[in-house]
Amino acid sequence: MTIGNTNIVGTLRPKLTKDELAWLKVELEDQRKRYDKIVQEQEALTPQREKWVKEFMERIQVRGVHVHFNIRRVVPKSEIRPRDGRPLQVIY
Amino acid sequence: MARPHIEPFVDRDVSFKKLTMPGFKPGVNYKMLSIDKDTGACTMTVQYDAGFKQPPGFCYSEHEFLLMEGSLTIGGKKWQKGLYSFVPAGVSLPAMSTDEGALLLVFYNFGPPSFVESDKDHQNADRTDFKMVDSYQGMDWQNSTLFPATAPGCLLKILHIDKRTFGMTFLYCMTPGFWQDNISYHDCAEEAYHIWGTSWMMQFGELPTGGYFWRPAYINHGCFASELGILAIGRTDGDLHNYFHHDPFSTPEENHERAASRLARMKPALYNWILTSEHNHLPHDFEYPNDTYKTEGWDTGIHMHDDGQVHHHSASGAHSHLGGNKKKKKK
Repeated sequence: MTIGNTNIVGTLRPKLTKDELAWLKVELEDQRKRYDKIVQEQEALTPQREKWVKEFMERIQVRGVHVHFNIRRVVPKSEIRPRDGRPLQVIY
Repeated sequence: MARPHIEPFVDRDVSFKKLTMPGFKPGVNYKMLSIDKDTGACTMTVQYDAGFKQPPGFCYSEHEFLLMEGSLTIGGKKWQKGLYSFVPAGVSLPAMSTDEGALLLVFYNFGPPSFVESDKDHQNADRTDFKMVDSYQGMDWQNSTLFPATAPGCLLKILHIDKRTFGMTFLYCMTPGFWQDNISYHDCAEEAYHIWGTSWMMQFGELPTGGYFWRPAYINHGCFASELGILAIGRTDGDLHNYFHHDPFSTPEENHERAASRLARMKPALYNWILTSEHNHLPHDFEYPNDTYKTEGWDTGIHMHDDGQVHHHSASGAHSHLGGNKKKKKK
């Protein structure tokens, strides 16, 4: 399968039937609610996440950041990009 | 691929629904994990009631499934948990039944669930990639062969690779005490389901047994850890490259741009070739001459051009953007 690829090998009936469209409509509404709930839950996690990020930024300057498999590299402070007020958005 | 960012979602928090689509026999229950708004392609946990029986038949969409609990008898052979099957569109599966019931994870990759009773394949089916394997007892764990690779303690079993896209389906596990201190993103969408165990990610917190995510391309995830280990199944819709970094605040747009700049650095001949006005069109592969591509939604974002400017497109369609720096060919 491919992002954007419309090769129909993956489906032999690309046009949805009336029953499938009705089912899809219900499922998409459920998914919208699921998404909204996730956004709320993740928003509530923000204070904890900020602490995790702070700990991560400290760790990589001491223990190092993984660059490949078991290879780690200690990140000098000069390589830490300033936050400059950037938000910590995680759901898009 | 039009699925929203669903992460995390725990299916243990919701009840099964009956699948009443035409063609399906009674006794099929499901929990929807994610679904494509355009095609109906979806990923679901599916439960067959004890005593469920299904005659031979095919699905119009390519689909994959992993048997996670219970047992399934397919074509007279009894399978236990760990059965993985890749079923190309239109390939007829033999009669299926379960005495004790079964719990599966099912990926419908291109369309909604469908079932047509038939002991023959659809006339246009290609059964080349069909497979059924015991992924638990019949396959060995391996270290990742990707470069760069995940940290030691994250092991893989590759279940299926799409030969055109390198999209893949894989079991993965994290050993107890696993940790990986970096942030990652990919060029592809990625989805995963926790069969057992809890892992943690810096962005999303803990993902327990029954936890699932569908994550579009270029979204940060990590660092990672698991105290007691996990067993999970994952799937991508394209080649999985780990773009590691350590900036928790970078956006998908920045990540996308970083990936493109790496392409320019690492494959300059390809990058430059694509940029030329003669070649900035929908790609053609002589090996797969019938492939076509959707363009809607793929050039509507903000992106850079060779004149160093950033701008936004509201129109779709392939077009060239060599502006002020365009090099004229010598005649």
